[in-house]
Amino acid sequence: MAVELGHFALVLALALSIVQATVPLVGARVKSYQLMRVGETVAIAGFLLILVSFTTLVHGYIVSDFSILNVWENSHSAKPMLFKITGTWGNHEGSMLLWVMILAFFAAMVAVFGRNLPPSLRANVIAVQGMVAVAFLLFILFTSNPFTRIIPAPIEGKDLNPLLQDIGLAIHPPLLYLGYVGFSISFSFAVAALIEGRIDAAWARWVRPWTLLAWAFLTGGIAMGSYWAYYELGWGGFWFWDPVENASFLPWLAGTALLHSAIVMEKRSALKIWTVLLAILTFSLSLMGTFLVRSGVLTSVHAFATDPARGVFILIILLLFIGGSLALFGLRASSLTSGGLFHPISREGALVLNNLILSTCTATVLIGTLYPLLIEALTGEKISVGAPFFNLTFIPLVVPLLLAVPFGPLLAWKRGDLLGAAQRLQFAFGAVLVVMIGTYFFSDKTSTAAALGLGLGFWLIFGALTDIAFKAGVGKNSLSVVFSRLKGLPLSVFGTAFAHAGIGLTVIGLVSVTTLQIERIVLMKPNDVVEAGGYTLKFSGVTPFKGPNFTEDQARFDLTGPDGRRLGEIAAAKRLYPARGMPTTEAGIRTFGLSQLYVSIGEATPNGLVVHAWWKPRVTLIWIGALVMMFGGGLSLCDRRLRVGAPTRRKTAVEAEA
Amino acid sequence: MTFWIITAVLTASASLAVMYPFLRRNDSTAEGEYDLAVYKDQLAELDRDVKRGLISTEDAAEARAEIGRRIIRMNAAASAEGGKSGAAPVVRIVAAFGILAVPVISWGLYSYLGSPGVPAMPLAERLQNDPAGSSIAELIGRAETHLASNPEDLKGWETLGPVYMRLGRYQDAARAYRQIIALGGANANTYSVLGEALVGMADGVVTAEAVASFEKTLSMDPKEPRAQFFVGLARAQEGKMDEARALWTNMLADLPENSPWREVAGQALAQRGEGTASEPANAEGQASDDQQQMIEEMVARLDARLKESPDDPEGWQRLVRSYIVLERKEDARAALERGIKALGEGSPSANDLSTFAQELGITLPEEKE
Repeated sequence: MAVELGHFALVLALALSIVQATVPLVGARVKSYQLMRVGETVAIAGFLLILVSFTTLVHGYIVSDFSILNVWENSHSAKPMLFKITGTWGNHEGSMLLWVMILAFFAAMVAVFGRNLPPSLRANVIAVQGMVAVAFLLFILFTSNPFTRIIPAPIEGKDLNPLLQDIGLAIHPPLLYLGYVGFSISFSFAVAALIEGRIDAAWARWVRPWTLLAWAFLTGGIAMGSYWAYYELGWGGFWFWDPVENASFLPWLAGTALLHSAIVMEKRSALKIWTVLLAILTFSLSLMGTFLVRSGVLTSVHAFATDPARGVFILIILLLFIGGSLALFGLRASSLTSGGLFHPISREGALVLNNLILSTCTATVLIGTLYPLLIEALTGEKISVGAPFFNLTFIPLVVPLLLAVPFGPLLAWKRGDLLGAAQRLQFAFGAVLVVMIGTYFFSDKTSTAAALGLGLGFWLIFGALTDIAFKAGVGKNSLSVVFSRLKGLPLSVFGTAFAHAGIGLTVIGLVSVTTLQIERIVLMKPNDVVEAGGYTLKFSGVTPFKGPNFTEDQARFDLTGPDGRRLGEIAAAKRLYPARGMPTTEAGIRTFGLSQLYVSIGEATPNGLVVHAWWKPRVTLIWIGALVMMFGGGLSLCDRRLRVGAPTRRKTAVEAEA
Repeated sequence: MTFWIITAVLTASASLAVMYPFLRRNDSTAEGEYDLAVYKDQLAELDRDVKRGLISTEDAAEARAEIGRRIIRMNAAASAEGGKSGAAPVVRIVAAFGILAVPVISWGLYSYLGSPGVPAMPLAERLQNDPAGSSIAELIGRAETHLASNPEDLKGWETLGPVYMRLGRYQDAARAYRQIIALGGANANTYSVLGEALVGMADGVVTAEAVASFEKTLSMDPKEPRAQFFVGLARAQEGKMDEARALWTNMLADLPENSPWREVAGQALAQRGEGTASEPANAEGQASDDQQQMIEEMVARLDARLKESPDDPEGWQRLVRSYIVLERKEDARAALERGIKALGEGSPSANDLSTFAQELGITLPEEKE
């Protein structure tokens, strides 16, 4: 019964979404507050119903109810409990249900926290959110229903793709979806503004925190996915410019641009039209990512089952929403008034530069991702646009942006002083020179790229510190004054500094690994020795091991440090999951400070075992940087200013009584 | 019943969510006040920025003027719009639509998509159920789960083996009997049934592996009828009709009166045009034709089936082997080619197929570039 209740709850949620997509819209048109309010209660109820539905499915996985087709296809009674639960979204149907649940969650958040929004804007936002929900609920119910039953029920499931049986599945998709779907709110706000034909002041206040939230989650989701691929695939790589990765990176780039243009809009009511367009584009890119990944156009671990009906359905959704919103934009954009004025050299101007470069980056990655697909569709020829293309196009675009980042926060609003900002940055610049010279002479004289790249990373970090120091008045005031000024700074200033420094950390990690990593591929027999980065690995042999639902051959290595100290063992393994007959590689990774030693094994040959060992200096900074960016986003989000919004009701009530 | 009560309650609550705003007092704040609060907040923030030196005093004055202009524009727009509220009939119609849509859409769609009668079936519960009420599939599943964790349970395999045979799950049956042999519980019968399972897997072709298994039986029990019969069939499929007939005739002579194998052997002889082995010479050609025809029909069926559902690696192996048995090398090669294409070139199962064919002496001509 429980399973069918979950199914019914999902259908009921669709019915409510249809109401949510229509009634408040009419309400906003005829100015009926009651009709507008319908959207709020319905959005909350709809979310609760989808939550019930999702919980039911999770329960089905926990108790291995193989009468549910989806559970049978993706679970196994011998699977560890954590992977039974995460397996719920480790497949197409379940992950779409998670997607739509997060969508409903955001609509409910607007309903709960949106009291300070003008009623008609709130109603329209919730209605647009409802339309997206209707489309995806129809998609789920008619092409990817997770509650399809099989009678008689098989007694054992087909197990989950072994690559997905990992803690990463518990974190990566939910974070990524919170990011992807979070941008739906900015999109709904943009479309709502276009429907009304005007942009309220509150609009600008609202778009930024939502974008910030989505952006922080997406940052975490992408970083987590990258780390997962790094340790699970056993290739030692962390980013492959693979179309599936690009599908998540595109909304991130556009979202980052949106985040910055929203600042200008919030502060100066300028760049409205551009911000609306960016909001539409960002979510459109999220939808396109979903289409590319889910339709089977791209084959990867993310594609799960491919079914042409699904592809066509998502394509229709895509055309409807992207086409519809852009058409509305074309129709209404001219009626939106432009806002405050500013000089080219100013904080606003810097943010515009950021937007220009980021949009160009987005376009570049988009072309690199879609071009091969287009060629294949038109001529049937398979070409691959890989890292070389992106390295050649993306890096030259992004380096000037990163160089300019420290200047932005130091420029005044409306009219800035570039020379003054440069003077303030002189200490940062000096420190960077020291780092570069130090890298060049002490670390590795052959690598100019390493010196320049590390310099860029430190430039971002020192730049962020300079910003804080300047705003606290370091050098001009006594220590106690500086301290009290630091306490008085709005949290968003620290948010900016952390986010920018986070990019710096990531850049340092990326540059260190790509220019200074040491890679060894050797054939090893027991007692053979290989050295990487000063650490010595002595192969002690292969031992078999049996896990709950897999067997593996573990290759064990004795590890000795540069000082000759013994550091225990590293084990790398080849694993076999018999339920799917699928082998996987388990890399052996040991972390030393920020750096990692990474060992992965290949085929066993008569001459020994193929062993691949890397010394990856400061590799963890890549992901630590992303976490720092997320933290910065969180700080900004906590800023009082962003929460103030426009709560008027209590104030007017007091006035009325007086 | 409980299910319908709960769904009814859920539907009612959902409809209530639509109705809720109409049950509450209608309090409204004018649109303009929301914007005004934001503008006031912007002015306050501007003051803070000036204090912190983030904007110059002149620029701040300019920005203040910009915000002031926005407030004036907003007031003008608000007074132009006036305080009209929603037209009552439209509101009522839309509200009624909303409230009605919920039960109509949900119940209508669920009756189309759902399976309301099907209970949840958690695995643990199913395995604890009284076996008497379970389906055969469930019983087998139960035994399989048990054997997966206790593969040394000889008794279990001995029970499951014949069940697989009866259900025609020859591959599983072969696995079960091999396990019995591995556990040391084999007798003459075990090898004989394993042989039959292998024949079943090959769609009736008595493969070399099957013959080996039957011969093992005969080495233990030379009079075992099943093995005798299939060894005979193997000879017949190789075209050695004399030998086949001799074997079957011997077998008939040895069999007790009430043995079911009497009929089988008798039919086999009759089908090949002869009741006895006394006139081998003139029957040779015809018997061979009949047998040939039977095999060819079977192969044609397999071929047709693979055209419909090509994703069947074992089926393709069987088809290739069948054509080789029939000495139709060209067809075997064509089947191999089709099989590889159907399974996806370079896929593991396609590679298996070509290795398999290679062992039988069939290879594809090198790809022409």
